[in-house]
Amino acid sequence: MPEFHVDIGPQYEGERVRKEDLHVEFGGPKVEYKAELVLLKGLDEVENEKVEIIGPDINDMEEGGSYPLFVEIFVAGEQLEKDMEPVIERRLHDFCNYIEGIYHMNQQDEIWYRISKDAFKKGFTSLKEFGEILIFEYTSDIDIIEKMQVNFYTDEAKVKEKVEMARVIYEERRARARGLKEDDVDEFYGCVLCQSFAPTHCCIITPERIANCGAINWFDGRAASKMDPEGPIFQVPKGETLSVLKGQFSGADETIQERSLGSVEQVWIHSAIEYPHTSCGCFQALYFYIPEVDAFGIVHRDFKGDTPLGMPFSTMAGEASGGRQVEGMCGMALEYIHSPKFFQYTGGMKRVVWMPKEVKERFKDAIPEDLYAKIATEDDTTDPNALGELLSQKGHPWISGEAQQELEERIAKEG
Amino acid sequence: MPHPQHLVNILTGIKGAMEMKDATPLAKIIKKAERPLLVIGPRALEVEIEGRPFIEYLVDIAKAANIPICATAHTKKKLLELGMTPESTYDVVEIVNALKDAEWKGVKGEGCHDFVLFGGIRTDLGNQALSTLKHFAPHLKTMTLCKYYYPNANFSLPNYKKEEEWKALLEGLVAGLK
Amino acid sequence: MKGKRKKEEKEKIIRAEDEWEPIGHTPMPHVTDLRNWDRRLLETYKPFYAPFCDLCCLCTYGKCDLTGTNRGACGIDISAQQGRIVTLACCMGMSAHAGHAAHIIDYLIEKHGEDYPIDLGDQVNVECPNIRTVLGLKPKTLRDLKTAVQYAAEQLVHVVSSTHTGQEGDAVDYESKALHISMLDHVCMEAADVAQIIGFKFPTSVADTPLVDMGWGSIDRKKPVILVVGHNPASSSEIIDYLRNKGLEDKVEVAGICCTALETTRYSNKAKVVGPLSRQLFFVRAGIADVIVADEQCIRTDLTDEASKVGSVVIASSDKACRGLEEVSDKPTDEVVKAMVDKGEHCLILDHEKAAEVAVEAALKIAPKRKKEEPIDEKKAIELAKACAACGSCTQVCPNLLPVGPAIQKLAEGDAEPFKQVFENCIGCGKCEEACPHGVPIFKLMQAVASWDTWKCRVGRGPVMDTEIRKVGAPIVLGTIPGVIALVGCSNFPNEIDEIAEMVDEFARRKYIVVLTGCSAMTVGMRKDKEGKTIYEKYPGDFDAGGVVNIGSCVSNAHITGAAMKIANIFANLPLRANYEVIADYVLNRVGAVGVAWGAMSQKAASIATGCNRLGIPVVLGPHSAKYRRLYLSRKEEGDWTVMDGRKKELVDTEEPSPEHLAIVTESKERAMVMIAKLCIRKNDTQPGRQIKLNHYIDLYKKFFGTLPDDLHHFVRTERDIPMFFKKEVKQFLQEKGWKPKPVLSLPTLIGTYETEVPVEATIR
Repeated sequence: MPEFHVDIGPQYEGERVRKEDLHVEFGGPKVEYKAELVLLKGLDEVENEKVEIIGPDINDMEEGGSYPLFVEIFVAGEQLEKDMEPVIERRLHDFCNYIEGIYHMNQQDEIWYRISKDAFKKGFTSLKEFGEILIFEYTSDIDIIEKMQVNFYTDEAKVKEKVEMARVIYEERRARARGLKEDDVDEFYGCVLCQSFAPTHCCIITPERIANCGAINWFDGRAASKMDPEGPIFQVPKGETLSVLKGQFSGADETIQERSLGSVEQVWIHSAIEYPHTSCGCFQALYFYIPEVDAFGIVHRDFKGDTPLGMPFSTMAGEASGGRQVEGMCGMALEYIHSPKFFQYTGGMKRVVWMPKEVKERFKDAIPEDLYAKIATEDDTTDPNALGELLSQKGHPWISGEAQQELEERIAKEG
Repeated sequence: MPHPQHLVNILTGIKGAMEMKDATPLAKIIKKAERPLLVIGPRALEVEIEGRPFIEYLVDIAKAANIPICATAHTKKKLLELGMTPESTYDVVEIVNALKDAEWKGVKGEGCHDFVLFGGIRTDLGNQALSTLKHFAPHLKTMTLCKYYYPNANFSLPNYKKEEEWKALLEGLVAGLK
Repeated sequence: MKGKRKKEEKEKIIRAEDEWEPIGHTPMPHVTDLRNWDRRLLETYKPFYAPFCDLCCLCTYGKCDLTGTNRGACGIDISAQQGRIVTLACCMGMSAHAGHAAHIIDYLIEKHGEDYPIDLGDQVNVECPNIRTVLGLKPKTLRDLKTAVQYAAEQLVHVVSSTHTGQEGDAVDYESKALHISMLDHVCMEAADVAQIIGFKFPTSVADTPLVDMGWGSIDRKKPVILVVGHNPASSSEIIDYLRNKGLEDKVEVAGICCTALETTRYSNKAKVVGPLSRQLFFVRAGIADVIVADEQCIRTDLTDEASKVGSVVIASSDKACRGLEEVSDKPTDEVVKAMVDKGEHCLILDHEKAAEVAVEAALKIAPKRKKEEPIDEKKAIELAKACAACGSCTQVCPNLLPVGPAIQKLAEGDAEPFKQVFENCIGCGKCEEACPHGVPIFKLMQAVASWDTWKCRVGRGPVMDTEIRKVGAPIVLGTIPGVIALVGCSNFPNEIDEIAEMVDEFARRKYIVVLTGCSAMTVGMRKDKEGKTIYEKYPGDFDAGGVVNIGSCVSNAHITGAAMKIANIFANLPLRANYEVIADYVLNRVGAVGVAWGAMSQKAASIATGCNRLGIPVVLGPHSAKYRRLYLSRKEEGDWTVMDGRKKELVDTEEPSPEHLAIVTESKERAMVMIAKLCIRKNDTQPGRQIKLNHYIDLYKKFFGTLPDDLHHFVRTERDIPMFFKKEVKQFLQEKGWKPKPVLSLPTLIGTYETEVPVEATIR
């Protein structure tokens, strides 16, 4: 490791910088304009290992102050692709936090960087070193980055300009991610990171289904499979689309058969009953069937109490895990709730009748407005019989039969 | 047979180390060895003889007779600072585990060692390590360079009360080995 | 005994009709049922013997000299003799816990009845992983826990029998028996601790247990002081109950030494922890306790003599240690109290309720009568030290090789610093003072250099929660948690008592999960950092990255093996029931956990460590542990590291020594830390996981040894294993070593590499 004034390593990851220890901060709630952005450039457009500071540097700043910042990173490499930009950008969080005395929070135009007094005392007094450390980390970890350049903008006017430019790009990316459908791509991604613990489990990651653990979406999968072709995340050719509604694809089925040692034959990605996706042990939440009301509930790992199944998350997780297909009990990432195809084959959000209020509030934007109040939480009841009555009272569309009919019609049409 | 300095190491057996008080016969024994090995422990970093760390005397001995070094515990760092690169960084039980196998290739790949010198390992652990070799390694002999009598070695320095005597022995050894 | 009737008997005991999991291959295994597993394990980790004594004196043919190739009159050789002593030590250790378990379970059955249900709170469903795995029984009541102990006790008879003259003659077979009885030690410890938790309502299913005061300085000497020493909470809980009933809890100090301190504070967080075993003699001689209630294990056997010297009175309360005292369990309380108060008469009371009453009533009367000496100050110490004649006797007898004499000399000259160091490193045996021909009161001198500070210890929290296991599953797989370190065992530390706090701090800040038990759990709290915080205040008590968890007392050690079993069961969904071999294979190959017994002293520590070994958990030991006579070492890269690839059903030579050893002694804390990091590496590490583990290994090695690890190339399978922070230099190093990529397995297993009934499929489920 080259000599820097501060130490670098994964042990600094959770390190906070409190107000008393703060030398200087960038972004955060006190600052209006702040952002970080990674852009792919051509090999001839990037000056390798160059770090530029446009505006004042750390040692020009007042102790305890809050300042605007725009971090602009240019990367170039034959095998890099535009879609990798957000994946590479998200690594800034880890790479900053690996640095002793540096604290990084959030992403895009909500960033918050803090530099500790200790780090400054040790000699970390310039953004130039910060850039050098980032370049060292990025190029050590990601082989396909051939050239990298870092610009730190701290001049207030320039930062504002850049942030406004960046916001356009963020929105473009969001639209692309939201808009990208399983239909639009030829390949999905598979991940077998959990196989040491669940030997028959393999996640199929599509643009509309994120991995169970919540850590790897389709773009992440794509970048990872290119950066590390021999690794645990790999390309899965889509093959033939057997059913859009179910989420069944011949390529995915073949991969699953192979990777599950033959124990799983087919996977209907957006189904929670027949041929559901397998679960390992790392899932963030469970989508579970409540027989008394013939509908589903959601519960997440942090929820300690009982659910309408009469058991808490921990017991249910035991039943769902181990790499098997368990009908009516599916591990999932919380972000899957945002997918337009969220368990669509078995009723989707309209068939959800119970979830912890924390999840309900967090994912309010994914729940149709008129459905929101009709979904029960732990504050209403956890008794499945009382639940049925309550849902009738509230006029839940699944209980009333309305949503069920919609689904049946859809299945009849789309199959 | 003399008692060890620390009574927890008292010999309960019939085979105990020969106490060696003169450098000359010791130097002869070492020179006769075909593949000697010097095992250095962390006490050599802390113990000083008239202000000079014991480890420096051990390095002198190694240099004088061209003896490869096994740096146990964390002694490697100091040895590098003294300009010596140890041939092995096995810990004490690991090196003894290898030494007791007559088929082992040794730290230089030339064959198992036939004479092993020890210095700087705490007496109780050192004496136990020597016990293993006493019982299970008939193909080699051992000696200790610390200022304590180790009952389980083949040859051991006596318990020195006076630093100067220990120093004199070690320096005599270096001279005799050159 | 194999046979139909035996099988039926076992099925009845484990309630085979209770279908919570399919029954595995070895329900209630007998001595030789897991012998093939042991032999396979010891093929790679061969027993390494350092004979402690060259003789055998066990029968009237002796003494027999066994030096080298000599055989005893019975034919035994030195290796088998060491194996025999190891087996005996493990039997002693196991029986200490089995005895404790049997006693406490009977005591609690008297109070609550046989059918008292096991309920460890809503976050613990897998209540007894050891009992489930070893016996195949899912225990529901105290009666079931008793059944587990009875089975283990029966096995003990067979194993002890094998140490008789003219029995086992093969060292590896002795080791197998030691491994067997040590596995059962964990069963008994689990039975004991689960019984205690439910019987005394100790904390469970909660991570944020209270912080209690620790240190001899934390005790209010103006109040009557009752000291409880030993391991069995039956005594101390009765004392607390009596005080509570009489409204005296704030008026009487109850302080504990050794594991009973940990048990007592689980019952009442007003009780104090004096400290570990190494401070027992110091505390007793300081005369702070008015009444001492002693139960079992690790107690000064001359306690009554020591107490008499300072005017303290002893109540012995265990049949394991009657101390030559008159039993007064049936005498009228007033009479007993009077004899104690007026004549300082020690006594034996085997009725815990009575002992509690006597203890409190006597303490209330004795305290005002006694003139407790204040601890001496430095000036007085210097004066007393002048009696030293520099004869060197004390230095000669110290088991920790401390320069006692020179330190006292310096003290006499006015420099207290060296003697302070001696106190910090003192393991508390008293041999120095005994050997001194000039009457220097060495333990009294210690009062002047000891810190009278109050530290903090976290109350023991019992089993790791199922929810915690599930939560750490993903980070362990993905590598953000590099391993689980368990610092356990006695306080026979080689150097400063706070070396162990240093190790905990180093690994907790590196985001390992750190768990502690017993004397080690107390010792780590006896150090404050720059901000005045003890380690328990610096890190949270969650079983999670960077957490420092006090699991509890010695018997709580079963929850550590239990946690490893739970990872296999809850996270990887392997059935536990009577499935020891598969679970041990899983833990060995796929769970990055390491035990550290830095100050191991007792036979219990030996059986605890050996029980971890059979389950596949390696242990790093401090230098005194060379005196246990036996280690389990591989030949590092020269060993055979072939495993079965569970996916492809092929044998694969991984060339990777992981874990490198099962039981190893290291001399310095620096070496220990490097070894600990290395021993967390497992063959099934994912690439991110391996990167992080290697990052710590390399970082620690560089810090203490100054270079990249000399054996680094054995642990890099592909370039993706190289931690990014060291990529360039490691790549260069690998090139110099002529390194070639190696196979990466996700399902490595030893099943299939040796003769066993277990099919390879069982490792996958």
